[in-house]
Amino acid sequence: MMTYIVFILSVIFVMGFVGFSSKPSPIYGGLGLIVSGGVGCGIVLNFGGSFLGLMVFLIYLGGMMVVFGYTTAMATEQYPEVWVSNKVVLGAFITGLLMEFLMVYYVLKDKEVEIVFKFNGMGDWVIYDTGDSGFFSEEAMGIAALYSYGTWLVIVTGWSLLIGVVVIMEITRGN
Amino acid sequence: MSLVYMNIMMAFTVSLTGLLMYRSHLMSSLLCLEGMMLSLFILATLMILNSHFTLASMMPIILLVFAACEAALGLSLLVMVSNTYGTDYVQNLNLLRC
Repeated sequence: MMTYIVFILSVIFVMGFVGFSSKPSPIYGGLGLIVSGGVGCGIVLNFGGSFLGLMVFLIYLGGMMVVFGYTTAMATEQYPEVWVSNKVVLGAFITGLLMEFLMVYYVLKDKEVEIVFKFNGMGDWVIYDTGDSGFFSEEAMGIAALYSYGTWLVIVTGWSLLIGVVVIMEITRGN
Repeated sequence: MSLVYMNIMMAFTVSLTGLLMYRSHLMSSLLCLEGMMLSLFILATLMILNSHFTLASMMPIILLVFAACEAALGLSLLVMVSNTYGTDYVQNLNLLRC
């Protein structure tokens, strides 16, 4: 079972996505997104990307989801709708889960699925060997290259964040 | 292609379908937009890590920066709608009704 841990985590990822796409009250949607974010971090960690997994938790969940959480707390209703309290939400949730389990069943039956691309389980066992990377982590070195090869990228993103803050202040000024 | 990619692309499609179909709250659509960004981040990270494309490891971080920018803008618009109408229901956005 441990050899298929990444596939199981990705199934839980899709289930979390179905949980907030069936649109219960936004506070429960935020809960589904937090679960999916945590499981997505686990998938990235299983591929060896420790820094990018940490980015998901710290920046995405710890930064963006917190902001969504308190904005939802500001604009929410007295009795939030949970998944079982509305037939439309429950029906959409069950339809999404059924679709995902049907796909998993086809994968387990035929060992390959063709939707637009041909997905097969054998792709997990192919190792791309591009030479020896030495004693350092390739992914951390690639992100560190943001400051040497990607200087212009940093300048553009920093400037666009500053302009974004100015735009938000103009929007929320009111008149 | 690997089976994990099938699930991540399925998650992106589910979130896209959720974004395009409104229910009552505007906030739910913004959450679906955030879900799309998360699934794109995970998909890009897995493909870059799998093919050992070291220099492209900075791309998911830049994607996250622009997703944060976009989420903040969407939230500020939602806050203004909520200030005007009291709630963020989609049925309040009816000024362009023909």
